[in-house]
Amino acid sequence: METIKNNPIIKKLGFNRIILFIILLLMYGVFSVIIPGFASKARLMSILNYVYFLGFLALGVTFVIATGGIDFSIGPVMFCCALMAGYSLNTFGMPVIVSLLLTIAIGVCFGCFNGFLVAFVGVPPFIVSMATMNIAKGLGSVFTKTQSVSWPQSNDPSGNGWFRNLVKVNGIPTGLIALAIAAIVLYIVMNNTRAGRFILCLGSNKEAVRLSGVDVRKWQMLAYVICGTMAGIAAIFFVSAYTTVQPGLGDTYNNEAIASCVMGGTSMGGGLASIGGTLIGVFVISLLQEGIMAMRMTKEVQMIITGLIVIVFVYADVSARRRRN
Amino acid sequence: MGEVILTMDSIDKTFPGVHALDHVNFELRRGEVHALMGENGAGKSTLMKVLTGIYTKDSGTITFEGKEVEYHNTREAQDAGIVIVHQELNMVGDLTVAQNIFIGREFRKGIMIDDRKMIRESKKLFDELHIDIDPRARMSDLTVGKQQMCEIAKAISHKAKIIIFDEPSAALTEKEIEDLFTIIRGLRAQNLGIIYISHRMDEIKVITDRVTVMRDGTYVGTLITNDCTKEDIINMMVGRVIYEEPKTHSMVPDDAPVVLKVEHLNAGKMVQDVSFELRKGEILGFSGLMGAGRTETARALFGADPRQSGDIYINGRKVTINSPEDAVKNGIGYLSEDRKRFGIVVQKTITENSTLSTLKEYMAGLFINKKAEKTVTEQYIRELDTKTPGADQLVVNLSGGNQQKVVIAKWLVRNCDILIFDEPTRGIDVGAKNEIYKLMNRLAAEGKSIIMISSEMTEILRMSDRIIVMCEGKKTGEIPIEQATQEAIMDKATRDIG
Repeated sequence: METIKNNPIIKKLGFNRIILFIILLLMYGVFSVIIPGFASKARLMSILNYVYFLGFLALGVTFVIATGGIDFSIGPVMFCCALMAGYSLNTFGMPVIVSLLLTIAIGVCFGCFNGFLVAFVGVPPFIVSMATMNIAKGLGSVFTKTQSVSWPQSNDPSGNGWFRNLVKVNGIPTGLIALAIAAIVLYIVMNNTRAGRFILCLGSNKEAVRLSGVDVRKWQMLAYVICGTMAGIAAIFFVSAYTTVQPGLGDTYNNEAIASCVMGGTSMGGGLASIGGTLIGVFVISLLQEGIMAMRMTKEVQMIITGLIVIVFVYADVSARRRRN
Repeated sequence: MGEVILTMDSIDKTFPGVHALDHVNFELRRGEVHALMGENGAGKSTLMKVLTGIYTKDSGTITFEGKEVEYHNTREAQDAGIVIVHQELNMVGDLTVAQNIFIGREFRKGIMIDDRKMIRESKKLFDELHIDIDPRARMSDLTVGKQQMCEIAKAISHKAKIIIFDEPSAALTEKEIEDLFTIIRGLRAQNLGIIYISHRMDEIKVITDRVTVMRDGTYVGTLITNDCTKEDIINMMVGRVIYEEPKTHSMVPDDAPVVLKVEHLNAGKMVQDVSFELRKGEILGFSGLMGAGRTETARALFGADPRQSGDIYINGRKVTINSPEDAVKNGIGYLSEDRKRFGIVVQKTITENSTLSTLKEYMAGLFINKKAEKTVTEQYIRELDTKTPGADQLVVNLSGGNQQKVVIAKWLVRNCDILIFDEPTRGIDVGAKNEIYKLMNRLAAEGKSIIMISSEMTEILRMSDRIIVMCEGKKTGEIPIEQATQEAIMDKATRDIG
């Protein structure tokens, strides 16, 4: 076992990530056997629709968790972005491209708001993001007068539905390409830039980094801005894949995104993060969600399972740290 | 000394990859204070953890009061009468003294906690020890010394027969150490067996009856304290002779320019109107008791804590330092007394730590030039003789002395001209200590200027070219090394204390 773990290729990829990937394949196999018709293209596309927006959410929150923080607002922020921009599109006749940019802009604003409060004012991330979660839900509801918003369909006579090509063109899952590009960019940011280096180091020991002459507040805030931006982008992929956005919802996605991170090996204690791991985690959660739906169980069952996953993986992380010390 | 109360015979313990205890022997008598000494990693703590049931031994026997015993957790050891007073105090700050002493075994009246009885019992314990502490006081309001006394009282309340002190004096003032010794002598008179772990050679001579020395997980030998010299003990610990001669004269040329001038620095209660100058190539020692405000002065100078007033001049130019960022820009580097909390990022590699304050210089456009980073790190690993398999090693896997070298490397990579060494050898074993000293001397000879804060008198006298003494937040003396004696320094360091 030890020799396998020390193999350079496996070390590079990460032993736990390989295991998780194998689990993912096994899960798909099991679902395909026990659920008739699960191994179909339609199901696969449905899983991927979920992977897109959850992927962007989880990639973003990976940066926040890497700083040792947490963001419980991403799901509602994503919905808030989709609601406000979609409402503007439908009601004020805003051009689609402007709406899409607005979506991202709102996400950036939420990220800045969270990041500023955490890094510069010193409010604990838990409190900030809980508050922001409610603000995002409330803002989305007030702005849309508590009505759900539907973004144009791809065959909309106005031609406004072109943005749906972001996830699918003639049956080709283009969203996967977008997500892959985002993951590669963020991998590089995390591992090869100053931002990533400082985010990881301050997640491990903020005071030591500060006393090295680094303006830690700036980099800590940046993590939340990245997270908010990704929530904005996630909103675009959500509305590209689904028809309607309802106000007052979105919190279940927080837990799913966070579960994806911890499964992939990002430590809740901060300082350790894996972009690749997060991505595999996202696939596991999305597959799970599709499987549960296919078995005609409710979303609530999935919430229970996601909750348990978070606890199990956080426990594994904590006990691994204890062993190391 | 009375009859033998505890014998540990041929204790063996292996962790994955480390033979932590290699057939170690230890014996303790009633009414003796027995020092357990050794460099860091020699196995002292492991041996005590085996004794108190935190670790299970692989082989060997423990005989306590004539019976072979084996404890599975500290609770069992406590109930049997073996209690440990930890280096880090395990007290709940918001509870009262009495509540802390009886935590987990509160007296009860029905279902209610009987606070009055706990206070009465605590009072009795303190009277026995001749300590004056109010059992109703909140723990966090007490000084560290008093908190330690409470730990001892708690230990005694367990009807202890053996008390283990793990570096009890590390955070105490001289006065508090004396009080501690009075208590320990009292416990010895009551025929308790006392195990005393400490790195401070002077204390060993004062308080202990016998010394057992360990090295690299093995038992080296046991000496009677009165019959041996400090050098004997050190030789057993390291297997070689180390000279600790004080410096006789300053190494700084008379015409060396002033590189740093601090005027009327004020920061809270702990830094009041502190002014001093530092010259090129000088090692300026900061001496004083715990809580004299030396670390606070350094942190205020470095911009780590806010300051109320004061001017700082570097090479004659007035500078503004409001954050560590400003300080580093002005060529100041700070090695904290608490390495793990303030010095290094333990879960990251040597490379990542070494370039932490210079990362900007190792960028190729937007990206980190990892090759260049590694090259410079490897250069300093060689130069400082850091013992590690490679630059990719996580710092957590290094020993204290080598971790310190990583922090030093960080500031050398930054090419800082002014270095503040705050307790540079705390928690570092004797061999590595010497290396750090040599390194500091070399840096000074190369023209770096060093502020060295140290609580160890021998270190101050050995390293400094000039000594500044602080007491209760004020500078109380400035002594050229030629005139410095322990007595002269102590006199200034305690000037205002009654």
